[in-house]
Amino acid sequence: MRNASDRSLPKGSIGAKIRKIDPTILMLIVLVIVFSAIFPDRFLTPLNFSSILGQFVTIIVFALGPSMVATIGSMDLSYVGIWMLGGILVWRLIPVVGAPAILVYPLLGLATGFLIGVIQVKVKMPSFILTLSLLVAYSGLTAILSGGYPRIVRGYDFLAARLIPYVPTTLFWSIPLIIVAIFLMKNTKLGAYLYAIGSNEEGARLAGINVEKYKILTFTISGLLTGFGSIVQFKHLGGSVPIALNLNNMTLPLVAIVFGGTLLSGGSGGPDRTVLGTLAFVTLYRGLFITLLPPEILQLVVGLLLVLAIVASSRGLKGVSIT
Amino acid sequence: MNTATPVIELKGITKTFGGVVRALNDVSIAIYPNEVVGVVGENGAGKTTLMKIMAGVFPPDGGEWYYAGQKMSFPKHPREAAQRGVAIVYQEKGVIPALRVYQYLFLGHEDRYAMSLARLKRDEMKTYAERLLREFHIACSVEDFMYNLPPSTQKMVEIARAILSLRLEHGGDDTASVVILDEPTAPLNIEERQELFNYIKKMKATTSFILVSHIMHEVLEFTDRVYVLRDGKLVSHYNLSEEKVTEEDLFKAIVGREFIPETRISETADVNREEVVLVAQNLTRKGSYYDISFELHRGECIGFFGPTGSGKSEIIKSIAGILDFHQGTLFIKGKEASSKEIPHTRLAKGVGYFCGETEKQLFFNWPVRKNISIVNMESILRKRFPIIDFRMEKQMAGKIVQKFKIRTPSIEAECQSLSGGNKQKISVGKWFERNPEILLLEDPTIGIDVGARRDIYEALLEMKERKIAIILVSDDPKEYSMLCDKIIFLKGGRVQKVLSSQEFKEVIAT
Repeated sequence: MRNASDRSLPKGSIGAKIRKIDPTILMLIVLVIVFSAIFPDRFLTPLNFSSILGQFVTIIVFALGPSMVATIGSMDLSYVGIWMLGGILVWRLIPVVGAPAILVYPLLGLATGFLIGVIQVKVKMPSFILTLSLLVAYSGLTAILSGGYPRIVRGYDFLAARLIPYVPTTLFWSIPLIIVAIFLMKNTKLGAYLYAIGSNEEGARLAGINVEKYKILTFTISGLLTGFGSIVQFKHLGGSVPIALNLNNMTLPLVAIVFGGTLLSGGSGGPDRTVLGTLAFVTLYRGLFITLLPPEILQLVVGLLLVLAIVASSRGLKGVSIT
Repeated sequence: MNTATPVIELKGITKTFGGVVRALNDVSIAIYPNEVVGVVGENGAGKTTLMKIMAGVFPPDGGEWYYAGQKMSFPKHPREAAQRGVAIVYQEKGVIPALRVYQYLFLGHEDRYAMSLARLKRDEMKTYAERLLREFHIACSVEDFMYNLPPSTQKMVEIARAILSLRLEHGGDDTASVVILDEPTAPLNIEERQELFNYIKKMKATTSFILVSHIMHEVLEFTDRVYVLRDGKLVSHYNLSEEKVTEEDLFKAIVGREFIPETRISETADVNREEVVLVAQNLTRKGSYYDISFELHRGECIGFFGPTGSGKSEIIKSIAGILDFHQGTLFIKGKEASSKEIPHTRLAKGVGYFCGETEKQLFFNWPVRKNISIVNMESILRKRFPIIDFRMEKQMAGKIVQKFKIRTPSIEAECQSLSGGNKQKISVGKWFERNPEILLLEDPTIGIDVGARRDIYEALLEMKERKIAIILVSDDPKEYSMLCDKIIFLKGGRVQKVLSSQEFKEVIAT
């Protein structure tokens, strides 16, 4: 991993020490220092801190599953669809079955993930197109079932009841999901096999890994994580059920995955990197936000950053964090 | 022959990299007209460095260069090397598939034919190219696309191009010159190799060749003299027309130790005839092989021998579950195995598949440790809860690295930073640890040096001793006589004859 320019630096110099730090963490530190220096009165406030954590939750609950899918070199964009359709199903079912209706989210996630996995393996179509099409179909179905209006689901208030000032309670609900995702990738056979498939699919097959089975499993787990994530998300955003696709909901988790250094071509990265990537991205986003730039410019900046991050990660971060 | 003046003579070549590693130490070689000279040695012995100095990639730290008896400075780039009579044909990536033959031949020399009228230039090039192909006995048209040519012809055109570049540089057809061939046969099969060497024999009339190769019998058969390099020093020089040299002699000179002795091989020949682990009955895959039947016993090794296209590689892939078969039945340990099974299912039944193409076997961006553990996941999971025990994983990797003498800075080093031989050892090592009941080997030592090859054979013999049944498919007859108890000859996808190991040795000796 160390390249020639690394070696040329004398050991123990400040430059060498900085280079040893993980690039995403380095970026995070630099961003915090820069924004604190420029906007001490706006960046270093409890309110901004709270917003950063809030947006962290919004992004991470959707980025966890897809970042597992990214390690096998595929893409899962279905998360917004699961969240929207699931929400409207919950809204429809609450009058019938009551509180357990919330379980529709994980069940829908599980079913969607499994469906994507099976189609992807049997028809061998690119997962990007497949999940994007499914997302469009789900949003259409949502609009039909909702009767054309955004809906509010009441109840389940304990999910978002504030425990600590300035810290969104939903953050605590997202932590078990984060831990499960990281644990699966780092400490189990499943994780090792997924990296293998992403790194060299032919090699994985010859090593006796049932590639098809593990691909289906990956999409299923991703769907399930998104399903549980959607529960967190729905209360995090006040119980509203959107019926129109929002571009930001879809792209920001992707940006976070790439920011963490996960290669979309597979074989590296994973949920642990995505947590770091999300933190770094959210800090940057909030930092830009408080500069009071117009939202259009913000959008432009985010898009350009995504391109930059992809270029940088495909060059420098290969093989990071494979245990 | 040695009374003539050498075309190229290098004296006392010394080259040091980074002030520490001495890649070449006082090496002197001479190339006479009309001969093929072999240069052999392990990876890291200095062959490549020496060839690069000759080809003008970089100059040495010290030494002298004589061209046709005249002292000259060392070439600083390939064009200067051509002026001094040396051109090189690299192992791979030399051919540009999208070009026509004549375009490829003159690639980089087009400016010599830059006339005001494009058509005129092209006709002249084509005429010259046609004359060259005729002179060099290459059977193709100047209008053919490179990608349409068989691999051996492509190699011949590459050689012709190297000679042409020398001639253009000197402006005449009769210049004495040396062409370096770096592992020319690596991408070729047996027949194509034979074809290429027949061609080189003809070409000797006008040009001298340096053959860099890992394949001992090729070197012994087709060269006139052999230089052996070890650790940057010239350790031996054989004049093959005067002395009789065996593969074993050459091996000992290259590696500095004995090859696996015959007695060690016969120790493993003890086969348990009672226990049959794999039975094939009339296996047929249309277009590849027909009516293949055999029984594989515990601890036995069967080899499928034949030219490329004889179906040997398809048979072993069908047993591995990579390809299916259309007719017949396959029994693994007494149970019928469906033709639709994938490698994963076959491995669960105890059939492991190993091929020498490391890019198909290894995960290059992974550390050595992970590459070894990936096929052995089950044995490093904790007992109570199925999570990976990283301590056991490290122990396993350490054990294999030590056993196979894998040269790596640590078990955490990325696989792609290692040499070909060491990659291959990791590949074999992971199967050694997995210990399948049946191991399928396809070209297990392709493209690696003799030292690494010896270590791999030893491991395979040890696996045979552990009563692992083996099926071998390879291009190297020596491999069959060392490992196999039974050799099945294939031709056109059908069994031609079945030989014992002893009979096989007699056949290949003649």
